[in-house]
Amino acid sequence: MEATREIYWNVGHGVVWPMYLFAIVAIGICAWGFWLRLPVYRLGKPLNRLDQLPRRVALMVRTMLSQSQVLRVLEPGCLHALFFWGFGLLFVGTLLIMAQADFSQPLLGVVFLKGAFYELYSLVLDVAGLAALLMLGGLLVRRFFGKPAGLETIRDDYVVHALLFAILMTGFVAEGVRMSASELALNPELARFSPVGKLVGQLFLGLSAAELSLAHKLLWWVHFILAMGFIAAIPFTKLRHIFATSANYLFADLGPKGGIVTINLEDESIEQFGAAKVADLTWKDIFDADACTSCKRCQDRCPAWNTEKPLSPMKVVQQIGEVAFGRPDASLCETVTEDVLWACTTCRACQEICPADIEHVNKIIEMRRNLTLMEGAFPGDEVRTAINNFEVNGNPFGLAYAARGDWSDGLPVQLMAQDPDVDILYFVGCYASFDKRNQDVAKNFVRICSAAGIRVGILGKEEKCCGEPPRKLGNEYLYQQMAQENIKIIKGYGVKKIVTSCPHCCNTLGRDYQDLGFDVPVEHYTTYIDRLLAEKRLTLKPEQFEFTYHDSCYVGRYLDIFEEPRKVLQAAGGRLTEMDKSGYDSFCCSAGGGRILAEEKLGSRINVARVGMAHATGAPLLVSNCPFCLTMFEDGIKTGGCEGELRVRDLAEIVAERLTI
Amino acid sequence: MKILICVKQVPDMESRFKPDNAGVWFSDTDLAFRMNEYDEYAVEQAVQLREQLGDAADLTVLSIGPDRIVEALKKALAMGCDRAVHIQDPAAALKDPWQIAAIIAAFAKDKGFDLIFTGLQSQDRGSAQVGVTVAERLGFACTTTLVGFAFADGVITAKRELEGGVKGVVKLRTPALVTCQLGLNVPRYPTLPNIMKSKKKELVTIPVADLLHEEALAVTARFYPPAKKGGGIVLEGDVGDMAEKLIAILKEKTNVLR
Amino acid sequence: MKALLICEYREGKLLDSSFELFGFAAQLGGETALLLVGAEAQLPAYGGPLYLADAAECGEYNPDLHKQLILQAVAKENPDYIVFVHSSYGWDLAPRVAARLKAAQVSEVIGLTDGGFEVGCCNAKMRRTVKPTTAQAVLTIQAGAFPAQQPGGTPQIQRLVAEGGNGMEFVGYEPAEAKDVDLTRAEVIVSAGRGVGKKENVPVIAALARALGGELGASRPVVDAGWVEHSHQVGTTGQTVSPKLYVACGISGAIQHLAGMKKADFIVAINKDKDAPIGEIADVLVVADVLQFVPALTAKVAR
Repeated sequence: MEATREIYWNVGHGVVWPMYLFAIVAIGICAWGFWLRLPVYRLGKPLNRLDQLPRRVALMVRTMLSQSQVLRVLEPGCLHALFFWGFGLLFVGTLLIMAQADFSQPLLGVVFLKGAFYELYSLVLDVAGLAALLMLGGLLVRRFFGKPAGLETIRDDYVVHALLFAILMTGFVAEGVRMSASELALNPELARFSPVGKLVGQLFLGLSAAELSLAHKLLWWVHFILAMGFIAAIPFTKLRHIFATSANYLFADLGPKGGIVTINLEDESIEQFGAAKVADLTWKDIFDADACTSCKRCQDRCPAWNTEKPLSPMKVVQQIGEVAFGRPDASLCETVTEDVLWACTTCRACQEICPADIEHVNKIIEMRRNLTLMEGAFPGDEVRTAINNFEVNGNPFGLAYAARGDWSDGLPVQLMAQDPDVDILYFVGCYASFDKRNQDVAKNFVRICSAAGIRVGILGKEEKCCGEPPRKLGNEYLYQQMAQENIKIIKGYGVKKIVTSCPHCCNTLGRDYQDLGFDVPVEHYTTYIDRLLAEKRLTLKPEQFEFTYHDSCYVGRYLDIFEEPRKVLQAAGGRLTEMDKSGYDSFCCSAGGGRILAEEKLGSRINVARVGMAHATGAPLLVSNCPFCLTMFEDGIKTGGCEGELRVRDLAEIVAERLTI
Repeated sequence: MKILICVKQVPDMESRFKPDNAGVWFSDTDLAFRMNEYDEYAVEQAVQLREQLGDAADLTVLSIGPDRIVEALKKALAMGCDRAVHIQDPAAALKDPWQIAAIIAAFAKDKGFDLIFTGLQSQDRGSAQVGVTVAERLGFACTTTLVGFAFADGVITAKRELEGGVKGVVKLRTPALVTCQLGLNVPRYPTLPNIMKSKKKELVTIPVADLLHEEALAVTARFYPPAKKGGGIVLEGDVGDMAEKLIAILKEKTNVLR
Repeated sequence: MKALLICEYREGKLLDSSFELFGFAAQLGGETALLLVGAEAQLPAYGGPLYLADAAECGEYNPDLHKQLILQAVAKENPDYIVFVHSSYGWDLAPRVAARLKAAQVSEVIGLTDGGFEVGCCNAKMRRTVKPTTAQAVLTIQAGAFPAQQPGGTPQIQRLVAEGGNGMEFVGYEPAEAKDVDLTRAEVIVSAGRGVGKKENVPVIAALARALGGELGASRPVVDAGWVEHSHQVGTTGQTVSPKLYVACGISGAIQHLAGMKKADFIVAINKDKDAPIGEIADVLVVADVLQFVPALTAKVAR
């Protein structure tokens, strides 16, 4: 007997018209639901996220089908992915039926759901349905019984769980009833390819043919109506994310990581700087709220949230959605609150993990811009002082700008003003220039370069803060002022290559300055040293040491430098014990986003929390490669009571100690 | 109500000061300049008064010095002053307070100002004379060292900071001049729209020769760094001895112990 | 050479700082005369001419009236110098007198030097020698720069009266606010750093602060650890201070801290580590254990 089945068995071909009518209505409601949301997205400012379309489409399809972003958190990720693939296969299976029954067969007389293909089809769909059901059960247990901290359950979650469960169950029962009345007796060979259906069908063997027929008709309709209900419900419930999150992959930011819109300060027509209302954000910022699935992965990783501060990146995104859809004229900064906005360290942990490609950080920066540029607000008086210091002396400490190069006295460093013929310009940054602890790092970096025969130049008193902390605090004006002055000086010397020891400087000079017409290649010293070692321009005599390595946010998540520092430190004789949170999952030191200038008034100390993680590895040494991190950890070790048990050192110090020259 | 605010641009006090060639004032080399901190409070108070009075108030900010001082004027404009007057004098640093006051008084004489705000003193010269002398020359009521300011019905209620944290409350009528102490208010950080607007505000330049007709009453004979106070003395050894030595040093070098 | 010394009187009391005028006059040499708007019940023991006006009539703060009184005394004595203390009274009044006399004024004199007066400038980082070119000069002397002296004797009182004032009304005094701490105005700050070891040791540092008549400060790690309240934090993330004396106890000198206290006139660091960064900006570095040295110092200061 051929392996196939009669489509519209029992319900008859008469259902086709009402079925399509319902389907059209359901799809119509779905479309209408999104149509209603369009004007709200349009409240936002224009932004082109449809350039490089083929690349975007490929990215979307790949990310959606592979579930790669979702799978980055294993347990719920697997549940979701398997459910997605299972449910997706069922959907595809349904489409195939439709294709044959309503198109290929009546129009062309082609029947493809037969034979071996039908057997495979049956098996795959049966297993897919089972997988979907089991995964849905897993998600349900996790949400309603496991109750992970921070996971908020709303009406939608009940609706969605109930709906999906009912669809899957009615599907299986309808199949079982059908098989009980047909395949189980007539084609047991084929029934083997629907193991779940067969199992369910055996439950109904006692029923009469008439009862089975009635039950099947009923179940078929219930299943169908539920499925249509599901489609109609998409825009009105969390199911929205099926489209919105997928679309967000299409709309992803393809620019360099951490890119911030550079405000055109020459444009006198601009009256509003930063985001006071949702209309000052882009449409994508509003759309992001729809793409958010409240998975709270961002919140789980947020250093502010984890140290009892009021900032949850998820809530910020959702609040933007609430304001956009509910009270579009409301003040964003008041809704989100200043405490929340100032708490962000721009560490990017939220954005990196987000399975929906939501861009959290720039929303916060846009709102900070409103606070800073429109209201002259600061997170505290200490920041006001620091900003004044930048304006006068180009550094946050208020130390004399003329003393900026003093640390290099007696070292093999050329002052660009005296001799600009150098291999690299070392952009020193404020901390390595003025802070004694970080001056050691600068000196060691110079020693390393000198050992490799590199001629190093510095700008000395002509260098100013790169502008990163003020920019991240929202002060675009001050940032551009300092940036323009740096650019003018550096360009004047015809510099070919810049190396920084501060990853914040590196990001700012290398990426942010591009918008201001600066294109000199910039590199962080970590990769630079790694290359000097690889090229054998530098050799080390390894000395054993135990250590743990802190991935600075701006070295790691921003610059994607993870391997090189580990390689260099291991080449120096280090034995690495990783912290729980490392790599892309690294935990901030507290000083990013301009927070280096601000007092941490709320919650517990982020730096102490991070030092605690390092301490927990048992390694006696914490190695970092960012001046902010080093400063924070020196403090955190003291505050956290780890003195004597844990030391923090910079990568350059470790390397310099092991130079063979 | 016409209001005049007098500001000075001074070097940042963190700068390394080196005597100029004549040895009577600092050389500008390697100095970072900013608005005198006391004057920021003066500007802020004037701007707050305008916010209270609305358009009835008109704020003129004045400064004397070389071209670089325009930066200080621009900051005052960005904070909210309506127009700026730059009295151009490359040699302003060589004028004594009497001459500076004479220049300001000469400018203000026929302008009908009701109220003049100045800082208590400049951070670089620190003489605390100019404001009071201007008032004296113009015959304005004057009080100094303000840490509180209120204005109603033509009467200023001023809170003066006295030693030991005590405050003296004084009422005076316009026309008046007041000098502002640190902490009088919180000088605002100019917003970007105000910075943009300030670029279009009026900035008048007047050569100092048009206003100055006075000779100096005092001259600076020498400008020099103080003798090294202790120059990094390191004490090591017995705790009791070190305590004695430290007390002796404190008695000699500071007036905290006596 | 003759100096007219202007004493200061507030809230019914002759201020102690007035006695520093005698110390200055002694260094200046020559005759002196005194002027006080105060009360006969409180006169300094001084054996020279004393011009006295009644504060009950003339007000303790009525600069216009006081100016007229001083001008009367100047007319009678024709002094070379009219000397005030550089205080909220002196710097308010002196320029008015100088302007009337068209006399040079030298503010905040800290010393006498080759025919001129030494004054501080640029936040006490630099000095100037100022020479008046007028026959008469008005001076204000820095509080604490000259020793207080009690000359002794009985003054020859000459009463002064004046009327008027230009419509300024003195309303009254407000007492100092009993604020927790305002480190920005403190003249002496003694700060605790991690070197004090534990919270229980903070009172040792506070005791030295009290003995020196100053306030307790703290570095960020100490505040972060909850040993000292945040209002005491000195540094870029706390308060930026400029006391006359700053004593850093067990503070290594992280940049954030240094930036907050480097404006202090005189810095003493007490630290076990001779190479701690704080040593670079300290005027005196005491290489010692804080818990041994500070109590010893406190005991000697208190004595």
